[in-house]
Amino acid sequence: MKDLIRIRSLISAEVESLLNQQVKKEATSSSIYLAMASWCNRNGYDYSSDYFFKQAEEERQHQLKFYKYILDMGGNAISPDVTGIKQEYNSFREVFEEALDQEISVTQSIKNIYARCLKEQDFVTNEFLNWFLKEQREEEYKARRALELFEVIGEEGTGRWQIDKHVGGIKYDSEA
Amino acid sequence: MVTTLITDPQTSTWSDVFSTQNGAVYQCDAERCWYVDFAGKVAKFDYRCLLKLKKAVYNVDIEAKLLDSSKDPDVEIIFICACDHTYILTLLQIIALKEILEGAFVMLQLNHIIQDRLYRIAL
Ligand SMILES: [Fe+2]
Ligand SMILES: [Fe+2]
Repeated sequence: MKDLIRIRSLISAEVESLLNQQVKKEATSSSIYLAMASWCNRNGYDYSSDYFFKQAEEERQHQLKFYKYILDMGGNAISPDVTGIKQEYNSFREVFEEALDQEISVTQSIKNIYARCLKEQDFVTNEFLNWFLKEQREEEYKARRALELFEVIGEEGTGRWQIDKHVGGIKYDSEA
Repeated sequence: MVTTLITDPQTSTWSDVFSTQNGAVYQCDAERCWYVDFAGKVAKFDYRCLLKLKKAVYNVDIEAKLLDSSKDPDVEIIFICACDHTYILTLLQIIALKEILEGAFVMLQLNHIIQDRLYRIAL
């Protein structure tokens, strides 16, 4: 008896469903960043607003990367429903705290798929995920760096104005 | 419960995937599809449709239906989008079909492991 399912698709049904969940997660991240960009813009934090617009765009690219991978492997990519995005924040700092939380949860979710693929010996998908692991290093670094600005600069006086200016300059350029 | 006719595999190219007293799943390598013999009919499914059938059957909340005390008839319509077959089944038939599909997918998974670990390495 031929292994018909394997002929159709390189990835297992379980991995396919995890990857589709990740598509949704990336789409959610993108929407969250877009809401943050709006909040920052409305409250006068222009550099942070630009920063979040860029992040939103990046998350959209991540979403498409997963989406196309699923299709390329013979799977069924599902366009996600994204609802319930928080639009209002209590403070400038809260925006960055939640941005870091979101990135940590994305890292965790990618680790989870990685573990599943190792169990199935789906090394092809692991190799695909390597790019995202490296990307998460950068994402978490940037989110953490932004929060550190609140400690280093302080929010008093023109502090928030200074913090906003520095957010625009956050970069990760590790060669490692 | 409607008793189903268990038809013998119609051609020699069909392999037994899994069967119970109530029905069976066969695989046809030549046509790259599966035949589900259940509720008095033998229906052909390609890969996508078989997955849709599995999803539709697994999604029926059997427990909720059992606890449901309303007088509505316990009939479930299994309609699969972009597929030629529809099933109108009683709760007992749903349970029976679920058992067959669960067994079939375990056997397909087993076949996949055997192919991966033995044949594909030996080739
Ligand atoms: Fe991402
Ligand atoms: Fe991210």
